[in-house]
Amino acid sequence: MGETMPKRPALMQLPAPRSVALQADDLRAKDLCFAYDGKQALDHVSFSLVPGSLTALVGANGAGKSTLLHLLQGQLMPTAGSVWLGEQPIRRCRPRVALMPQRGRIDWAFPITVREMVALGQVQAPRSVCCDVAAALQRVGLEALAGRRLDALSGGQQQRTLLARALMQPARVLLLDEPCAAIDPPARQQLLRLMRQLADAGYSLLVSSHDWGEALDVYDRVLVLDRRLLADGTPAQVRGALTALTDMGNHACG
Amino acid sequence: MPWWFLPLLMALMVGLLCPATGTLLVTQRRLLQSNLISHAVLPGLAVALALGLDPALGGVLSGVLGALVAERLQRRDGRSHEAVINTVLAGFLGLGVLLIPLLNLRLDLEAVLFGDLLAVGSSDLLRTLIAAASLLLLVVCSYRSLVYLGVDPDGAAAVGLPVRGLRLALAFVTALVVVSAMAAVGVVLVIALLCAPVLPGLHRVTSLRAAMLRSSLVGMALSGAGFALALFLNLPPGPLIGVACLGLLLPGSRIR
Repeated sequence: MGETMPKRPALMQLPAPRSVALQADDLRAKDLCFAYDGKQALDHVSFSLVPGSLTALVGANGAGKSTLLHLLQGQLMPTAGSVWLGEQPIRRCRPRVALMPQRGRIDWAFPITVREMVALGQVQAPRSVCCDVAAALQRVGLEALAGRRLDALSGGQQQRTLLARALMQPARVLLLDEPCAAIDPPARQQLLRLMRQLADAGYSLLVSSHDWGEALDVYDRVLVLDRRLLADGTPAQVRGALTALTDMGNHACG
Repeated sequence: MPWWFLPLLMALMVGLLCPATGTLLVTQRRLLQSNLISHAVLPGLAVALALGLDPALGGVLSGVLGALVAERLQRRDGRSHEAVINTVLAGFLGLGVLLIPLLNLRLDLEAVLFGDLLAVGSSDLLRTLIAAASLLLLVVCSYRSLVYLGVDPDGAAAVGLPVRGLRLALAFVTALVVVSAMAAVGVVLVIALLCAPVLPGLHRVTSLRAAMLRSSLVGMALSGAGFALALFLNLPPGPLIGVACLGLLLPGSRIR
């Protein structure tokens, strides 16, 4: 009761000032819970992403990283809690949040060129909208390979194709599901550089990852997930929590 | 018009239509479901005949119904999709076979299962044209959505494409194609024309459109040649076309 009292006057005068204060591209998770088959996969996860930030989402297999990304994109409905993009619930503005899926979910042998794959990012836009595939390809450095089939590319090039497709969407929030998994270290470096450039250009990126330790230093912020949000801070700040999680992991394995 | 003209036209049409549909099914990983549909047309066919309706109508409905039943039964946890689909396939086929004596139908089961090209009439040709039109409509209206769904099903759902609707439309078109091809190659052998002509060259073409075109040409050549050879050797064309499809797999396996 003591909490609700001071809020009231603020709520009444709200609409105008609040929409100014809250940027349209702030993605906010509020008390997200998700359960399936009676198992709690996510437990009261709350955070927000601000434009221009590169955030890592780390956690062991089965910690709920993919589930969280799918909830944030509105593909799954939370059992409790909500996701907001600016002032709107995510279900109303799903195209404004792009999800780059895990590479294992893609049929790389599908008969399609890099150019056509990237153009799919605007699959729902009316034909009159000019889709600048060339610009997206140039941004990820694939313009020379535009006419190739997907399965003629290296793993890193394939990941950059997926990223270019996400850039074709009218989205400023990019959710990347393990983009660095199963690609070689130079390709990974290149992808990370690219993600940094995008963050500097005003995108907000949330990148799920298996990386621990120093690999996380390239990120502005790290969220550590194990069904609950265990830690949220700069790479240096969360290191302690990561060590604790690693110990826990070893325990579970042993 | 010579007696062989209509059967030849039918063989060519089916040879064009089945592989074009099959290209969609292969790239969408829906072949197992298609095999189910092709067997599940039988009960509807029998019922429609008993009611004095067009058998093709009943066949299409029961084919799609079979697919929906299988999809529904798969949703229980931990069930093997393949086991469920094959069980529903056998169940519907068995039901169809049982309905023939139960409803006192005069139906040439062998012709339904394996085709009877020499007996085709203009109504069979008309069905094929309707199936072709429905395929064309699906592809023209939803080409990019089908590409998205094939290459990245999760992504397609994430951007809000109507995944279930697209798959249902594809199942419906498949049922139409199967029913129309029934007169030529039968519901059992149609699967060969849906699959085999798609495979050569699928790993080289750079678009779904090109893959469909290519497989149609291969299928038409195969089906036309199979028909001619069957006449020459005085053998039933349906099974011969089925065997010829097997031959398409050989060159690829030599290279690898």
